[in-house]
Amino acid sequence: MHYQLEIALRQSEGALARVLGTAQRRGYAPIAMQAATDPRAPAWTLSMTVESERSAHGLKSQLDKLHDCLAVEVAPCR
Amino acid sequence: MNGAEWLVKALEAEGVDTLFGYPGGCIMPFYDALLGSTMKHVLVRHEQAAALAANGYARHSGRVGVCVATSGPGASNLVTGIADALLDSVPMVCITGQVPTHLMGTDAFQELDVFGMTLPIVKHSYLPRSVDELPTVLHEAFDIARSGRPGPVLIDLPKDVQLAKADHLPAPAPITSPPVVNAVPVGLVDALSLIARSKKPVLYGGGGIAIAGATKAFRRFVAATKMPTVLTLRALGALPFDHPQFLGMLGMHGSRAANLAVQESDLLVVVGARFDDRATGKLAEFAPHAKVIHLDADLGEINKLRRADVSVHGRIDHSLNALCAERVAKHAARYDAPGSDIYAPALLKRLSELKPDAIVACDVGQHQMWVAQHWGFKDPTHHLSSAGLGTMGFGLPAAIGAQLSNPGATVVCVSGDGSIQMNIQELATVARERLPIKIVLLDNQALGMVRQWQELFFHERYSAVDLSDNPDFGLIAQAYRIPAMRLDARADQERVLAEFLAIDGPAFLHVAIDQKANVWPLVPPNKSNTEMLDAPAQADAIAHADAKEFVHALPT
Repeated sequence: MHYQLEIALRQSEGALARVLGTAQRRGYAPIAMQAATDPRAPAWTLSMTVESERSAHGLKSQLDKLHDCLAVEVAPCR
Repeated sequence: MNGAEWLVKALEAEGVDTLFGYPGGCIMPFYDALLGSTMKHVLVRHEQAAALAANGYARHSGRVGVCVATSGPGASNLVTGIADALLDSVPMVCITGQVPTHLMGTDAFQELDVFGMTLPIVKHSYLPRSVDELPTVLHEAFDIARSGRPGPVLIDLPKDVQLAKADHLPAPAPITSPPVVNAVPVGLVDALSLIARSKKPVLYGGGGIAIAGATKAFRRFVAATKMPTVLTLRALGALPFDHPQFLGMLGMHGSRAANLAVQESDLLVVVGARFDDRATGKLAEFAPHAKVIHLDADLGEINKLRRADVSVHGRIDHSLNALCAERVAKHAARYDAPGSDIYAPALLKRLSELKPDAIVACDVGQHQMWVAQHWGFKDPTHHLSSAGLGTMGFGLPAAIGAQLSNPGATVVCVSGDGSIQMNIQELATVARERLPIKIVLLDNQALGMVRQWQELFFHERYSAVDLSDNPDFGLIAQAYRIPAMRLDARADQERVLAEFLAIDGPAFLHVAIDQKANVWPLVPPNKSNTEMLDAPAQADAIAHADAKEFVHALPT
């Protein structure tokens, strides 16, 4: 199963590594990712595609717990 | 005032009264600022013990534990204690020195990327590159450490940030955390409906009860519903051990009554527990007929391993209060072991009777499970056990932390001959601080739990478990000026225990036990909790007939 993640992140030390590491450790293999700073705020916007047999809810609930994650949306890829 | 001095004032304002640490080059400005502080600094003898002592302090007191180390090896030595805190949800703030910012990334002396190393084992971490960040960092660090599901927060502090002028920073003030969200009403209504329809409900309590300070609410809920109750290792004490509704500990070394009740139940009300594999056995066969109501402060735990029919996210005490609207005797433990040697379960039960209000810190292995099974806990904050990470060496530093958080309490450290040697240097800390900890060493001259598994599941092929060349532990204790006694025979048990407990100040009891004494009952790995073994005859059958089936599953 492939999932598409759209994440807003604080622009803080280690934020990108924390998200990527959480996804990998929880069993969601990254397939593609793209990140950019948000010109309107001190934040990153991160788009990531992951592959896993596990549920989308499982990853979203873990990412939601990260202090740096401002918003997380996860949806199955079509 | 420099950054380090501001930080010390801020920790004082936060209410920190004790911190555990070890100085070194890059944390020297902080240690300089500590002189004259109202906080008590406890000098441990290894940084791992600083993290574990802060961990034990936090577990018993409910306050945030603080530890300090220098950069490089000092910081990396903290890692196990930080990981232990993450897995058991213990609030900690860990402060490490770092090389000056202009040297970061140059492989400078004692430079180590501790921020990167600890990313997977912290709730959050900070690396402030300017003194101006300190107020925000400190405020958030304490807030994050204790809010929601507690956990460890790292502050990696470059030396130049510690030395930078900080006169312009705001005066430190204590931090208040916002309350956790209340349970959503729809979950409560559905939960009440499920409870009303169930015929064989079981209450399954976990470590989240004590973390949330919900012990009273949990007990009120048990009284109101009269539900049979099982507890995880981390929850022992949430219901008094002799409560009529308490069936015992759940899981691998849990009671048969607890495991069978859960397996036969039609409803599990799970309170602050996470379906840990040591509690559930083979997850696919765990409580196969039960619907699940899951109450937890951490949404990430709900539906993680077992689908919840009803989830109630929010503060456990609020949820339980809103919801409040003969197996034990049959399967009770026996203490009449044959022979004249010391029988560890009976010894621990007797100690528990002699010191019913003691705080007990234990290490990891057979003695840890005997403590869980045979000590009569009445309060979950009195049982300090490394449940999630299983950290050998946890016991002595955790006992130090607990004693410092509650100087008037009786603190007992129960350890094994393997575990004690992981942090035995902390006897120096016990001696220096004159902490009246009673250390009970159960010595079977082996790594007992590994030996037990090799006996049962590896065809009695004993590999690297022999400790028959142990040192004289009593002499070691005495070398640290701690009085030591030895207990070898059951006939001497009452007298020796009385003399040992009467010693004013720290004391060390070296107890010789039978190497072949195993922990029963036992659920074999990758088996359901109904298949637990509690008699040597059953174990023999497994060891000789069915061992191959388990080998692939070990060691998990």
